[in-house]
Amino acid sequence: MRILGLELKRVWLARRTWILLVLALLLSVLLAYLPVTYCYSNGTDEAGNPVNLTGLASIAYEKERQASAAGLVTPGRVREAVETYQDCLRAYGVTESYDLPEGVYEREILPIAPLLHGVKEAFADPDTGMAPALMEIEPAMLEDYYATCEERIVSLMAMECPDSLQAQHKAVEMYDRVGKPFTVYPGMNSTVMDYQNIMGFLVLLCCVVMAAPVFSADYQSGADDILRCTRHGRMRLGAARVGAVLLISGTGFGICAMAYILAADSLFGWDCLGTSIQMTYSIVTLADITIGELQWIFAAAGLLSVLASVSFTLFLSARCKSMVMSLAAALGFCMAPVVVCMAIPGAAGAWICSILPASGTSIQASFLYALTDFVFLQVGEWAVWTPVAMVGACILEIPLFSFLAVRSYARGKV
Amino acid sequence: MELLLDHVSKSFKDKHAVEDFCLELTPGVWGLLGANGAGKTTLMRMIAGILHPTAGEVVYDGVPIRKLRERYRNIFGYLPQDFGFPREFSVKEYLMYVAALKGIPGQQARQRIRELLEQVSLSGVSHKKITRLSGGMRRRVGIAQALLNDPEVLILDEPTGGLDPGERVRFRNLLSEFAQDRIVLISTHIVSDVEYIATCHAMMGNGKLLATGTTEELVSQVEGRVWNCMATADRVAEYENRLQVISLRNEPDGRVSIRYLADNPCTGDSVTVMPRLEDLYLWMFPQNMAGEIGREEVSA
Repeated sequence: MRILGLELKRVWLARRTWILLVLALLLSVLLAYLPVTYCYSNGTDEAGNPVNLTGLASIAYEKERQASAAGLVTPGRVREAVETYQDCLRAYGVTESYDLPEGVYEREILPIAPLLHGVKEAFADPDTGMAPALMEIEPAMLEDYYATCEERIVSLMAMECPDSLQAQHKAVEMYDRVGKPFTVYPGMNSTVMDYQNIMGFLVLLCCVVMAAPVFSADYQSGADDILRCTRHGRMRLGAARVGAVLLISGTGFGICAMAYILAADSLFGWDCLGTSIQMTYSIVTLADITIGELQWIFAAAGLLSVLASVSFTLFLSARCKSMVMSLAAALGFCMAPVVVCMAIPGAAGAWICSILPASGTSIQASFLYALTDFVFLQVGEWAVWTPVAMVGACILEIPLFSFLAVRSYARGKV
Repeated sequence: MELLLDHVSKSFKDKHAVEDFCLELTPGVWGLLGANGAGKTTLMRMIAGILHPTAGEVVYDGVPIRKLRERYRNIFGYLPQDFGFPREFSVKEYLMYVAALKGIPGQQARQRIRELLEQVSLSGVSHKKITRLSGGMRRRVGIAQALLNDPEVLILDEPTGGLDPGERVRFRNLLSEFAQDRIVLISTHIVSDVEYIATCHAMMGNGKLLATGTTEELVSQVEGRVWNCMATADRVAEYENRLQVISLRNEPDGRVSIRYLADNPCTGDSVTVMPRLEDLYLWMFPQNMAGEIGREEVSA
């Protein structure tokens, strides 16, 4: 414990550590605010004149206008919303809402818009996946809205995983378990989650930059020669270093994620958190969680990914003779999921993306996108949903790479 | 207590850095002398357990050090030739850190650090960041960390590099006091550092052990081969070309006293002089003479 304490002190005293952590924290708060700046709506002032609203004013305005939509998304309410939508468009002789005269959308459609989310998708053509226009949907069909959603997941999975019956069955089974009816509390959008993803990636980079020199810097400076000739200078020192860096990285990520979530929820409103994930992403999303739960689950998955990446970075650091080499290799592996995701399509790409330590917080192949997607990995007779595979891989990688880092350092054959 | 280098060899690809090196180190100060590139550092790193021999073993009290592991490191102190420090620590913090790694309890470590800082004259800078210290001060921090655990085996690789003459003397005295009942091995190519404090020397060249013995035993090898003659200043260049010159000294009368190595006297006025360890070193490593000799001025 004494060595761990001293290692914590050593890592913490390094200027790069606290500069990176302070930077990460500032970025987290800044990134939580950025989605607010993209909020935009057209409203009317007290005199009824049209005004453009941005930022927090826009969020407040939309929440006020959509307050009546909040609550359970029952088939009856969805039907009413579709009828209102269709009546409005018919009254103005248009087929799409963007053709409505100025101010009509805000007045008539905006209040019911949250309930319309996913309706078109639920009625998508089972063969082509093409969604119909809302005007083409017969309101009476909405009486069995959730049965339609369940049919949609069957057809969607037949298209997504045509070669894997296990994946299709698994997805249908999972969707059956999702609590229905859904709930919606307007105000928050998926951009908040996208920025949480970016936040996670940036904090990951900070942690990796902090971890990359931990062993290699001492090899490079020769400080290591003295330390490894001491009684506890091999396994115990290696383990203490890995423990200290994991502890600081984990705490750093935890604080940044918490700061982000608290800041974002304070800006968008705590009431939005009860919205079902299906009312923000695909109506047939397989996870049975709300947006508030998604934030914390994503943060937890991000934490695992950061710890896996840091332990992998420490392994590289223990194997590389120079700081630059370990840093370049570690950053390369952080970017790898993005490259793999773009360069290797199909099952091979999905496998690699799920296994790479940084994939949980990567920009394109992150846990968030996996959780809102329908990709399954085939393991013999088993179909494993990619977010589960990602978390599983990280849980295995943290002790594995930590052990390899300590072992490589202790053996000292660099 | 003995440290045995049992037919130790180390090769890096096709280069033999150390070849079949056998030496039994007993308590006392040992000087490991050799030219640059002789393999001294490689040998020391093998004794430290940082490098593993390609062949042979380093054996402490009958047990190979690779088997002793932690037990060997517990009685071991090491100062490498080139070493760095964690940038973030002050002198005291660094020594506390190394003390923890050496398994010295906190209170005992604080006491020992106080003593050592006093001995290496660093008490005044104990709270300074190591990165802000001069080269000589850093070297002294290195010496202090090597002595922290009162090691039974102390290995010092070029310990006096960067130390000024006063610091060198203090270091030699510190080591002489410390070396009672301990094995101390000092690698250097600065002969004067070990000449007076080492009880035994090992001469190393091209990775091999060339000679071993006490100062007197080794020096006897060049007895009758060290000469001194006088020459006028304008003939010095000629002598330098002809003779294996050890040193030149300007005398007050304008002439130059030349100390040289040869089997027979090369001038009529040559007289034999008492050989020193440095003479033996230069006899064994003649290629190093160009860099070693210097003209000394005699003070009035």
